[in-house]
Amino acid sequence: MKTHSSGFHPSVLILYAKKLILDPIHSFGRYSQLLFRAFGAVPEFGTYRKNLWEQMIHVGIDSMPIVMLAAAFSGAVTTVQTSYQLVSPLIPKSIIGSIVVPSMVLELGAVVTGFILAGRVGARIAAELGTMRVTEQIDAIEAMGLNSIGYLIVPRVIAGIVMFPVLYIAACFVGIGGGMLVGHIGGFVSIGEFVDGAREYFQPFDPIFGMIKCLVFGFIITSVSCFKGYYTRGGAEGVGKATTEAAVASCVFLLLADLVLAATLL
Amino acid sequence: MISVQNLHKSFRDKVVLQGIDLEILEGETLAIIGRSGSGKSVLMKHIIGLLQPDSGRVTVDGVDINAISYADLRRIRQNFGVLFQGGALFDSMSSFDNVAFPLRTFTSMTETEINRVVMECLEMVELPGVQTKMPSELSGGMQKRVALARAVALKPRYILYDEPTSGLDPETSTTIDELIQSLSDQLNVTSIVVTHDMHSVLNIADKAAFVHEGKMHWAGTIAELHESDDQILRRFVKANEYLIGK
Amino acid sequence: MNISNELKVGLTIITAAVIFILGVRYFQDLPLFATTYELTAEFKDAGGLIPGNLVRVHGVSVGSVETVNISQESGKVDVTFHIDRKIIVTEGSYASVSGIDALGAVRMDLYLGPLDAAVIPEGGRIGVGEGNDLFGDLTARAPDMIEKFSEVLNGLDIVVSETGTLLSEPESDFRKTLASVKGSMAQLESLLTSERTRLSSILLNVEDATGSLKTLTAENGPAVSKLITDLSATLTTLDVELESLGEASRSLNELLAKVNSGQGTLGMLVNDPSMYNKMDSTLDGINALLADFKASPGKYLGEMKLVDLF
Repeated sequence: MKTHSSGFHPSVLILYAKKLILDPIHSFGRYSQLLFRAFGAVPEFGTYRKNLWEQMIHVGIDSMPIVMLAAAFSGAVTTVQTSYQLVSPLIPKSIIGSIVVPSMVLELGAVVTGFILAGRVGARIAAELGTMRVTEQIDAIEAMGLNSIGYLIVPRVIAGIVMFPVLYIAACFVGIGGGMLVGHIGGFVSIGEFVDGAREYFQPFDPIFGMIKCLVFGFIITSVSCFKGYYTRGGAEGVGKATTEAAVASCVFLLLADLVLAATLL
Repeated sequence: MISVQNLHKSFRDKVVLQGIDLEILEGETLAIIGRSGSGKSVLMKHIIGLLQPDSGRVTVDGVDINAISYADLRRIRQNFGVLFQGGALFDSMSSFDNVAFPLRTFTSMTETEINRVVMECLEMVELPGVQTKMPSELSGGMQKRVALARAVALKPRYILYDEPTSGLDPETSTTIDELIQSLSDQLNVTSIVVTHDMHSVLNIADKAAFVHEGKMHWAGTIAELHESDDQILRRFVKANEYLIGK
Repeated sequence: MNISNELKVGLTIITAAVIFILGVRYFQDLPLFATTYELTAEFKDAGGLIPGNLVRVHGVSVGSVETVNISQESGKVDVTFHIDRKIIVTEGSYASVSGIDALGAVRMDLYLGPLDAAVIPEGGRIGVGEGNDLFGDLTARAPDMIEKFSEVLNGLDIVVSETGTLLSEPESDFRKTLASVKGSMAQLESLLTSERTRLSSILLNVEDATGSLKTLTAENGPAVSKLITDLSATLTTLDVELESLGEASRSLNELLAKVNSGQGTLGMLVNDPSMYNKMDSTLDGINALLADFKASPGKYLGEMKLVDLF
């Protein structure tokens, strides 16, 4: 016999409440605890220094080509679209430069880099740590008497914080360059006009704000991914789940942080 | 000396350990036996503080390892060598680097000294010449032997083995058993072997402890094990003997 | 050669840092390698100056504004700015804020002192000169102009209606003369009425334009600035013309009032050549003005039409 009820059974509601409210708080608590322990491990950082260089290569230098590619295209597309939208003959061409440069420096440079890093580095970190967790490599590190958080997480997070701004600078450089080049080749705006426009509206705080964003994004992506990877459970499937969650959660928190920073600092 | 007193542990709703008492004396080899899922590995992880008990105490050389700071706990762990079930080799490093890892981390040896020690250890596990290979290029049995070499590299006082022979062919199992035995003879270490393989137990252990349904069901020497008329223990031992064709 | 990880990372970070610093300097319009020179100027009104605005000498960019702060002690605006070290700033130099605030194209112009005077040291203060925000002035003046214009037109209205009353009286020897007055007046009225709405709508447009012009960049800044200077001059001319028109109508008014009030008679008016001449010249003046207005409206309104563009 089928029964039709007009609403949720109370126990279902409780389940939903737990899923929507309690579980995220629980996760956040564990995340904070992990960070707290990671900060505690910073003083003995000397032991793990070698690991840091390796992570900096993985996070930063290996990501350079794809970040630059994406940035060059976003710069070029911004230029083309801005010029497409400028129909009034009275608005000078140089306005393109004054739109493309701040867009790159304030938003696109950091966010495009962030998304790529969330997908590339975040997933990598979560998969790596997740596999280490399910194959007991993390236990092995602990059992040797090493601080696994200090050894695995601190270098990754520091590498993220240090290398993200580097990637951001590369992204801005290539993105603005790409915009100029496409504007020049496509005949939308000459390089001189582009630079004039950019200079006219350039504010020294813009790149500083971009840098602040980068530090925050670098921290978010690496720490969230480490959290997801470090607490992986459930074999290969668990690793897959952690990897996806790491990439998605990194992107979501990155966007949230973007909004919060823009609202507080601009 | 390691002693475990009245250890309780449950994960969420599942009770795993309910009152385990255990004592391991210096220099002896203890086999913790029991069926899969009886909580043997969980017990082992408590001994090196990888898991915290819900209640009860674990003391190593008289120190309660759950009452000390993390830094002190890690200092105690340096006395242990652990062979995990799957070997748990770091798959980003070559066999050589895996064995050299604890030496590089905890000693101030030069690379030449490290090189010498690593080669010694690899020879001891009868795998000279694999040092450049990555773990993924090694078979399961070879991985376990490299992991064993890593576990003993720092000459620990205690070695913990988690299912050292599971998933291996009988011949490799025998090799590993012989290794465990020669290690405890050569280095005079205290060994704890978690296993459900009675064949190894009879080959290597001085004492055995039988964990059943989260409790310490039976404990005694190997000689006593043969004479025991405990029904559950007998059935476990019988099933194993049958399995290995005795 | 085997490059160690440390070296790779180090090189990358250093390269990025160099690109960052040079990039920021490039867009701040500071010389990439030369060091700069910091100076402060104290303005009463910064006129919308913000950090990053250009500093120019004879129309050449030489640096940019660093900070704009209201001084705690003096209550004035302290503006610090960097310029290229190659520019020698001597005593007697002064700065002024110029450009059009509403267009967002504000800059700082630096007028250098005599070359033989003492050089102002790094971090020193320089004097300020009068800057002008043409557009702001114009916008402020527009409502006044409209009001003045209506006043004059109102005056003319009265004259015309009185003339009408006068003319409705029976036969007059001055019918012809007055008829021409009427003609002129009617013309003037229609012209001014139509121009009044047009002028006020133009002036309103000017105000509107202020908003929309904000999107213009410095590229058009000078052109717009020129346009506005012209416009301003036109309004000044118009003002003068209206003044004289007002005067003319006032004397006409006086004259008509006299006729109306019976002070003297019409005969007296005829026999008094001076009166006649006076009226005649007045009418001539009005006619000439109107003819001029009609013949070359461009003179009065020409440049204004440009404003219609916006």
